[in-house]
Amino acid sequence: MAAHTYSYFVVAAVIAARLEKATRIARHLSITASNARALAFRAGEGASGFRPLTDYIHRLADLTVSSSSRINHLASELSRTAAEKERAERALRHFVDVGERAKDSPFIDSLQPVFERTSQRQCVLRDAYNSQIKLLTSELDTLEGELRAAGVLATMSRVEALQADGVYQQALNNVADNVESVTASIKKHIQSSQTLVQQLTQELS
Amino acid sequence: MKTHTLYDGDSHRWLMFGRDPNKPEKIIDTNQYMVITKDNALLMDPGGIELFSAMLTTVIKQVPVDKITHIFASHQDPDIISSLGLWDQALQDATLHSPWIWESFIRHFGMQNINFNAIADEGGSLTLDDVKLVFIPAHYLHSSGNFNVFDPQTGILMSGDIGAAIEADDAPMFVDDFESHIPRMKLFHQRWMPSNEAKNDWVERVRELDVKMLCPQHGRIFKGDDVGRFLDWFEGLEVGLTGARLRQ
Repeated sequence: MAAHTYSYFVVAAVIAARLEKATRIARHLSITASNARALAFRAGEGASGFRPLTDYIHRLADLTVSSSSRINHLASELSRTAAEKERAERALRHFVDVGERAKDSPFIDSLQPVFERTSQRQCVLRDAYNSQIKLLTSELDTLEGELRAAGVLATMSRVEALQADGVYQQALNNVADNVESVTASIKKHIQSSQTLVQQLTQELS
Repeated sequence: MKTHTLYDGDSHRWLMFGRDPNKPEKIIDTNQYMVITKDNALLMDPGGIELFSAMLTTVIKQVPVDKITHIFASHQDPDIISSLGLWDQALQDATLHSPWIWESFIRHFGMQNINFNAIADEGGSLTLDDVKLVFIPAHYLHSSGNFNVFDPQTGILMSGDIGAAIEADDAPMFVDDFESHIPRMKLFHQRWMPSNEAKNDWVERVRELDVKMLCPQHGRIFKGDDVGRFLDWFEGLEVGLTGARLRQ
């Protein structure tokens, strides 16, 4: 998507949509974690090394779900603020236009408080928008860091799967694959969101 | 956008705004109306978002912005009230009067500051300083929740889409030859108005009012004997037509 061709409020909505997807995918990781725990339990001693890893998968899943939900909420708020900011800016453009077209009007002065009020609102919205972008950037960076651990977790899961009995080996390998693919998919959405947020940050400066 | 004074008395003025030569192409020309009293102004069917700048420019030649204390939307259509989100940023303590059934729809245009006065199906009234204006029910003409504004003192009826005609943007303000005007409004009424029953009920009620000027939202204004001519014609017109019957 050539995002730079879109207005900032559209970009904000795209970010919110992508992060909603990431949240949905993160829920799959919870299912994978539960499956892994049940599987390790059934495999018994043959998968004793795998069992502690399932706790890590669970922790990663919980962290990812809560973190991505929080980020998703932040992105939705950003999108709302962006839309309101655009409304205020559009109104200001109209008021400037009216100010020029009606400069000889006997009641042109009555437009001044309207202009000031809307400018003030636009400033409040701009400040809120800026701080929401900063917060979103920091939360995305944190989540990306947390997801780095997922790669290690998948590798360790594969190593432990090798120790398991033949019947469980394939199933435990599938768990490792799931952890890897789900986190890769979340990462993809996080990274593309980071790029879009960066674009919004550049527009601010 | 042109301004035309319909009435200028001691207690109030009626203005009509329209025939905007700079209107963007492909949007229907609309008539906006305003009643100005001592300390208040009522803006009726203020128009679409595309007209906002032109409308506000025209309005502040007549009144200061903060004097616009009331807005009326006869129904929910975009050419009537899609500019609401911008008026909402311009007006601080205004009230929008509109049919109750459209409140939750109209709010989609953006309404955070303006108050909403839901007009009951039976109608209602609004007193601006000493001037009483009456909301006349005109449901299904064409919208299922729809009102006209009647000024008993002047006999002016702002009739919304009733009496509307589709014609050139530079058309005269008043109907000058009723017969030749019929082709400009016939199809509009037959296609847009869905109910003969609602139409005849409206005609019956409006006949009891002393209407001296019938002011639609599109096209020309009817005055004097042309008001009666319009009511007779409208009463005899079959509406709610589609397909082949519409083209007859």
